[in-house]
Amino acid sequence: MALLEVTGLDASYGAIEALSGVSLRVEPGEIVAILGANGAGKTTLLRTLTGLHRAKAGTVLLDGQDITRRRAHDIVGMGFGHVPEGRRVFAALEVDGNLTMGGYQSRKEPAALAERRRQVYELFPRLAERQGQLAGTLSGGEQQMLAIGRALMNAPRFLALDEPSLGLSPLFTRNIFKIVRRIREQGTAVLLVEQNARQALRLADRGYVLETGRVALEGPAAELADDPRVKAAYLGGAPAEPSPRGPVASTSDNGGKGADGS
Amino acid sequence: MRGISGLTGLLDSARVKIPSLAVFAVVLLAFPSIADEYWTDVGVKVLLYVVLGLGINVVVGYAGLLDLGYSAFFAVGGYTTAILVGNYGVNWWLTLPIAMLVAAIGGYLIGYPTLRLRSDYLAIVTLGFGEIVRVTANNLEFTGGPDGVILPFRPVLFGYELAGTQSMYYLVLVIALVVGLGATSLTRSKIGRSWESVREDERVAEAVGVPSIRVKALAYVVGGVIAGVAGAFFATYIGIVSPTSFTFLTSVLILLVVLIGGRGSLVGVFLGALVVQGTPEVLRSIGDEWRIFLFAVVLIVLMFVRPLGLWPARTRRGARLAQSAEEPPLPEVGVAPGEPLLEVRGLTMRFGGLLALNDVDITVGRGEVLGVIGPNGAGKTTVFNCVTGVVRPTAGKVVLGGESLIGRHPHQVVQRGMARTFQGARLFSDMSVVENVLVGMTARMNSGVLTSLLRLPAQRREEQRAGRQARYWLDFVGLSDKATRFARELSYGDQRRLDIARALASNPLVLLLDEPAAGMNPSEKADLMELIGRIRDRGVTVVLIEHDMAFVMGLCERVLVIETGAKLTEGSPYEVQQDPRVIEAYLGVDEDDEGDEDADGDLGAGPDDTTAPTLTKGQ
Amino acid sequence: MNDFLQYTLNGLTVGAFYALVALGYTMVYGIIRLLNFAHGDFFMVGAFLATGVLSLLTGSGLPSGLVVVVALVAATAAAAALGGVSARIVYLPLVKAPKLSLLVSALGLSLAVEYGTALSQGTGFRSVPHIGFLSAEHAIGLTDGVRLTYAQLGVIAVSLALMIGLYLYVTRTFTGTAMRVLAMDQDAARLMGVNVERTIMMTFIIGAGLAGTAGTMYALYYPQVNFLMGFLLGLRAFTAAVLGGIGNIPGAMVGGFLIGLLESYATGYVAGRWTDVVVFGVLIGVLVIRPSGILGERVAERV
Repeated sequence: MALLEVTGLDASYGAIEALSGVSLRVEPGEIVAILGANGAGKTTLLRTLTGLHRAKAGTVLLDGQDITRRRAHDIVGMGFGHVPEGRRVFAALEVDGNLTMGGYQSRKEPAALAERRRQVYELFPRLAERQGQLAGTLSGGEQQMLAIGRALMNAPRFLALDEPSLGLSPLFTRNIFKIVRRIREQGTAVLLVEQNARQALRLADRGYVLETGRVALEGPAAELADDPRVKAAYLGGAPAEPSPRGPVASTSDNGGKGADGS
Repeated sequence: MRGISGLTGLLDSARVKIPSLAVFAVVLLAFPSIADEYWTDVGVKVLLYVVLGLGINVVVGYAGLLDLGYSAFFAVGGYTTAILVGNYGVNWWLTLPIAMLVAAIGGYLIGYPTLRLRSDYLAIVTLGFGEIVRVTANNLEFTGGPDGVILPFRPVLFGYELAGTQSMYYLVLVIALVVGLGATSLTRSKIGRSWESVREDERVAEAVGVPSIRVKALAYVVGGVIAGVAGAFFATYIGIVSPTSFTFLTSVLILLVVLIGGRGSLVGVFLGALVVQGTPEVLRSIGDEWRIFLFAVVLIVLMFVRPLGLWPARTRRGARLAQSAEEPPLPEVGVAPGEPLLEVRGLTMRFGGLLALNDVDITVGRGEVLGVIGPNGAGKTTVFNCVTGVVRPTAGKVVLGGESLIGRHPHQVVQRGMARTFQGARLFSDMSVVENVLVGMTARMNSGVLTSLLRLPAQRREEQRAGRQARYWLDFVGLSDKATRFARELSYGDQRRLDIARALASNPLVLLLDEPAAGMNPSEKADLMELIGRIRDRGVTVVLIEHDMAFVMGLCERVLVIETGAKLTEGSPYEVQQDPRVIEAYLGVDEDDEGDEDADGDLGAGPDDTTAPTLTKGQ
Repeated sequence: MNDFLQYTLNGLTVGAFYALVALGYTMVYGIIRLLNFAHGDFFMVGAFLATGVLSLLTGSGLPSGLVVVVALVAATAAAAALGGVSARIVYLPLVKAPKLSLLVSALGLSLAVEYGTALSQGTGFRSVPHIGFLSAEHAIGLTDGVRLTYAQLGVIAVSLALMIGLYLYVTRTFTGTAMRVLAMDQDAARLMGVNVERTIMMTFIIGAGLAGTAGTMYALYYPQVNFLMGFLLGLRAFTAAVLGGIGNIPGAMVGGFLIGLLESYATGYVAGRWTDVVVFGVLIGVLVIRPSGILGERVAERV
């Protein structure tokens, strides 16, 4: 049985349809990438899965249990972690306090929390150095680490990450991707929304491409990476339209690795 | 411009509206003849509240400043007229401008020192101001103490005494109309857009060229003047002013006119005044307590049914896109292409104990595209904030075209030719696309309050020219077909374009872009590179902060690397990428996971071979 | 000097009322950015309920200390319940609506509670039954002529205890921390597993309960009640919350005592009728110098 099974999910903002008939699944221990242009509905998809946004139709099963109409805090309590876009750490709380809040659902098990806290600090030694610092004073990369660490405090079976590399330097982006791999190694399945398609597909087992709220393509990550349509739209493999000044750069992904255009 | 424009909006949108407007006008005019004395009296009170509602609509609806002490201005107007006429026998008509002036001064006095406060703090300050005015009036002999001032005189116009309920009705109706027209003119001008931009995001408004403090103070002054007029008429009509007329509850009732009616809508203000002044009259027979209790229940229920008020500003925006475009010429500057246009020397910024920037030097040549890279938290955005006057650097010089920018407010920096965009595109989301661009032109527009109020020819020409230039910039970034949408309705990529168009609208010499490509996919990035290339081709100097190395390498002739608040190195993109210090601090290398990451061979590559084709001039 | 001391004691007592009520304003503002105009009316309802209980029980033969405790508990519980119910019915459905709509609802609720009370209890002043040991003659004489009555001592002690308890609750417990993070970012709080609606209700319940306690003590101290008393006291308490830095719990305490002292000194040294001018003048002065109030943090805003 799939860990997460989404069938025919619809969602909208007022009259504007944001998702229509999205179906996808994530198996235990898998990393699944969601690709798509801005506004394709990736963030709405994650928000709908976690109950932050109300689904209009369709079902979401987590480990066989229907969570479609559940409220966010219940869904989180069932082991669904969600690291939102833009990190959203609690700026006026210390690093350690942020982690404490991450363990809110396990507040009655102090021993387990202490152990998880130790694990998170082990995973992110940089956070351990900054335990007492206010989260708002961390750099963007550190905040991203904290946002992930905070979600791990709830020992999720399943973790959704929304653009973890957004606004991060190439160095930090690499680090974040390494961390995602380690999280999977510890048994947590990951649903990864990323602009950074190249690195996301390299990391993922399978992927889905969203276009205007629908699943346009799906398949094993390696196949997607080879798909000419994906290459053109998300990997920057094909030349873009010409500019008045001659050849236009086909920008490739982040990280100084864009060797394709040459 | 939302719909205070109602009036012109109604006039504009022909067939359906004109008959209903005509019927409305006839009812208003004929009302005193149909109604008896008692209901005409209610009519006068409703109209006075319409005037007050129009005034507070400027403050709360447009400028977004919550005012809980608006009755203070009402009181100031009333007392001024009453004291001048009652105690000194001044001609009534002469007291009107004086009452307006005194209320305006009141608005300025309360506004100016407190406008740096956040809106909710402002609310309590205004509340306090209202109480201070009332208590003072109550305690001073000069204002008649608790008994107030009696106003024996009735104004005379063309030999008619304006004392009767009927004549007062028509007089107040005229005033309401004049105030409505005046408010409409203002709100449809640069000033109205400035108010709205400040309401949407004050810091961004300031940073794109709106003198935010002055604009907010002006909202208080205009609101004060309108309340002052209403106060003068109120005093004359009732024949006495006393502190009990200007309590906190009065302020709340005036505020409710706008909140019940719907912010920013003329029809809404009328309906709001009708509810606030009319409902109690309808319920008169059931006794005071029941009346207020039911009114309260109605308020609560109303907010469930219509949280935005009875008649909120319409959702489709009125401002139209100009038919033709006009390209503004690039401003003159005495710096030859390639010569230093922007010079930063020894820039140092300390936040408390934290040294955010340490002795940074940057020179940007005219026409250049300079890239700024560096780890997160290295201080790149702080450089932008120091240079644009958002924060004042602890030490250092910032010189643009020979003129120092230190100590300038952000809007003055825009005036002098430097504009910027924001991480994540902070737009005025409840304004239309074209209005966003027009706000960006504020720094280049000269019309003042009076010319805007009277819609003098010079002001109208300026507005029209701004409209054509806005069209040009929207064409330039490719958003003309979405000009009348709300900014919040745009897709992410379009929001970025609009952010750039808004900055370009000030016609800058230097454009600062803060992570313009963040969160974009490759095809969007390619479009953006093309756009920035065209901006540079216009002769605009560009400085951009960006993490996407291919993007930076493709656009910039020179790259500056900042690390922990200091310049690490600068040079050509190639040199910078080779620099081991840059690789260590910023780019990183694929170490342990190189193997499996690059298993498929063709995807991975070290940072040193990023050789995306470039748009640089040398090509 | 003696005058000064006496004014200080009186000011601290009044300040305790303001501080207790200010806490509710500040907590609710901190969590959903609402200026809850009805909050002062929770205080009033507490005072009326306490009066009712006292009228019922005095003369029943119960020891007066027990009667006071029963009144305190009953009024606190009733005000807390009213706070919770109004949060559920009036505010929670509107949490996502524009802030000004919430403000209108708050004004509506305030008037509804006030005039609902007026309809059932009348508009006049009602006197509160006399409790022997709280009357003015039971006092500790400090120096010549300076007296601290038992009632004052009780008000200050109970308030301080409640404030310290609240502070510990908000900073040390999970639910308290949930309240604080909810104020920073609601969606992120949900993603931590915080039941946002329940936490908001909890905030209203605690705030209103504190106001109910304050209302009971007020009724006992002054001894009369009126349906508009919450509005007037609420205005001062609201001022206190802003003066201390709205959203900040220690700030509300400091602000409350400060306003109480100011009022007492202004009444003593200037004249009662100028009190409001002094209080609001100081408020405006403080805000001009410290725009976020005395203890409010300067919010670092990014551009």
